[in-house]
Amino acid sequence: MKFSVEKVVGGGRLGSILPAGRHENAVIETPMCTLFTKVGSAPHLGYDMLKRVSNIPDIATMSLGGLAPHHENIREFGKGLGEFTALKSNIIFTTLHDASFAITSGKNDRNGVALWGKGGKFKMDPSLYVKVQEAFRPDWFQALSDGDTDKDTGKKRLIKAVNNSLDFLDNTVQLLQKSEVLKNSSLIGAIQGGFDVEERQRSAKETSARPVHGFLIEGFEKGHSGLDLFSLESFSSLLAKTVSCLPENKPRIMETAWSPLQVLRAFKLGIDVFSSVYPYLLTQKGQALITDYTIPPKSASAELEREQSGDCLPPNSGLFIDLTNKSNFEDFRPVLPGCDCYCCSNFTRSYIHHLLNTSELLAYVLLMIHNFHQYFKFFSCLRKSAREGTLDDLQASLELQSS
Amino acid sequence: MAAKGKHALSLNILAQCSTSKARACLMSLPHAQVDTPVFMPVGTQGTLKGLVPDQLRELDCKIMLGNTYHLGHRPGPELLEQAGGLHKFMSWDRALLTDSGGFQMVSLLELAHITEEGVKFKSPHNGTEMLLTPEKSIEIQNSIGADIIMQLDDVVHSSIEGERLEEAMYRTIRWLDRCIKAHQRPTEQCLFPIVQGGLNSDLRTRCAEELIKRDVGGYAIGGLSGGESKSDFWRMVTLSTDLLPDEKPRYLMGVGFAVDLVVCVALGCDMFDCVFPTRTARFGCALVKTGQLNLKNASFATDFRPIDADCPWPCCKNYTRAYLHVLANTEPAACNILTVHNVAYQLQLMRTMRKSIMEDKFPDFVQQFFNDMFPSGEFPDWAVEALASVNISLR
Ligand SMILES: [Zn+2]
Ligand SMILES: [Zn+2]
Repeated sequence: MKFSVEKVVGGGRLGSILPAGRHENAVIETPMCTLFTKVGSAPHLGYDMLKRVSNIPDIATMSLGGLAPHHENIREFGKGLGEFTALKSNIIFTTLHDASFAITSGKNDRNGVALWGKGGKFKMDPSLYVKVQEAFRPDWFQALSDGDTDKDTGKKRLIKAVNNSLDFLDNTVQLLQKSEVLKNSSLIGAIQGGFDVEERQRSAKETSARPVHGFLIEGFEKGHSGLDLFSLESFSSLLAKTVSCLPENKPRIMETAWSPLQVLRAFKLGIDVFSSVYPYLLTQKGQALITDYTIPPKSASAELEREQSGDCLPPNSGLFIDLTNKSNFEDFRPVLPGCDCYCCSNFTRSYIHHLLNTSELLAYVLLMIHNFHQYFKFFSCLRKSAREGTLDDLQASLELQSS
Repeated sequence: MAAKGKHALSLNILAQCSTSKARACLMSLPHAQVDTPVFMPVGTQGTLKGLVPDQLRELDCKIMLGNTYHLGHRPGPELLEQAGGLHKFMSWDRALLTDSGGFQMVSLLELAHITEEGVKFKSPHNGTEMLLTPEKSIEIQNSIGADIIMQLDDVVHSSIEGERLEEAMYRTIRWLDRCIKAHQRPTEQCLFPIVQGGLNSDLRTRCAEELIKRDVGGYAIGGLSGGESKSDFWRMVTLSTDLLPDEKPRYLMGVGFAVDLVVCVALGCDMFDCVFPTRTARFGCALVKTGQLNLKNASFATDFRPIDADCPWPCCKNYTRAYLHVLANTEPAACNILTVHNVAYQLQLMRTMRKSIMEDKFPDFVQQFFNDMFPSGEFPDWAVEALASVNISLR
């Protein structure tokens, strides 16, 4: 994989990724998000439903927690995870943790890392890790790392997390030299250090010195915590200082559940690749993204009622409506008037409210389609805005809508 | 009573099996031309278990069911009317059928109490006393706006005999008359009466004789598939189809296991519905011509074949049993994929039967079907008997 920066706008990088291997003819523009998956499938959406979403990201993120326990069967399958999960046209990026839930803390040590799936804990050391990846044949894969830290983690534990992760990386790099199957796969280094600048920078520098193709910055929260990292005073400067120690020519990835506004802020701090776990979390709560990305915002969605219940997401997490709310009962408008997604083209708020009210699966199918559509669309708006020099206007608009 | 031919349904018999009572028809409804024999998937609450209407259209599904009991509670007839009917509400432009709500009430609610007036029950939502009369059932069904609607019938368990059964049968006829009278949209919605009479041939005969005196567009056969013996079941089905006029469709309610479908098509039934294919999908089961595969079972962990190599739909073109094994144990997306497959299986089974009837090769189809389903050759006795009664002898 190769990455190059074309232009830096407001601190953010307009770049492009040239994948290696079976996708070498593709060009992926950044900033962008990946397709969030659960056990290798887009949440709620089988192959034929996912096809109804436009602008599906080229890269699908598959966390190992739910899949690693099946590695021997997938090895026997012999064609890798992309083919196994019916997402073979995507670039497959295996990560350690599912970005939609918190991990159980305290189960990592210097010998290995605990992964979490429906079946519980699955402990991995570097040699099992490489064995699993050889079965899965990902295009990108996150290095084994100890990211079990957050804002409350003490210095001693942070040093350990950085050291453990570097040791795992060295072990892995050594094992990979003997791996024919993974020679075209791109190893993504994981940056640790919690909220300690010194450890963050040490992790960034040391990881950069090793043969990795990109960086996944983690260790700010233990899995998904629901916390708005930007509400923590030190976060922005810490992230900037971390990123300043990373080389220009490699993509930086964060898996945090971020609203469009938070994505824009992180983009300006130098992050290139994001997760699409945010629209999934909204969907699970019966909520729909209605942020308006046009500049200046057209009245249509800006006028929409705002219901920031925010029981799990922080209040400034963007603009969404809660379709579980009774006010939708006889609202025959689409979820977002003017949205051209499959959900809004065919169904009303009233119908989706009914489906949520009766616990019907279709509610989540339709909301997932709409929320993915709007979130994916945001990234093309973000790129366009950065290219056209209207990034500040977009930010002002998003801030206005979230206030 | 409406004049003949004014019903919202017309039936054109295209082929009649020269051996059995099986037949292939075209049933014209306001929202669809339906090929019969037909299986109608059940979309209880205005949705078919996670599938969008487009997925059903792609499977060439022409008609599906909604449940009046559920829809009457949520979202309620007022909202459905405001939405322009269930068709518009759920974005389904093809045919719909609704039941009367009576069966659900009696089977779901322990405290349902039946009087001449109607079915009294406590609302499961707020505990208030409510009454479903024949008029109320039709009123709700008129609001829902399905192409075919059902009369409210006095449902008794199939084990009930004697006076109560007789009372239920006669009440069902009286309630039919009240339903016909209450029906406000006869040219847009076709009302079906229901043949009752339990497992009593005499009562069932008297019921059918009464029903056919009324001017209706089609007939349902009810009170079966409630746990009675298969031997009683098929005898009541064949008795009913013998009594009902040829020129109207016969709908066998609540039947949907593949073997039952094949036997009852041979006995002359045209329409079927059942929650089984969609319910079993939710539990990780896929229907195949040899029965069903429980994909949660560990034996599928390294089975890299599709569910059914002959199934042309996304469920089998994209997924292996091994991956569905992983997914079925964890993710709701699996339910969606398996529901597509199971509905596709049911519809394909009906299409294959229909084709064989059109070519007058239905007995060959039946033989092949049983050979696939029971490779040991040990066919269920009741099916052998039932088929023999219509001149199809399994080898
Ligand atoms: Zn939409
Ligand atoms: Zn299939």
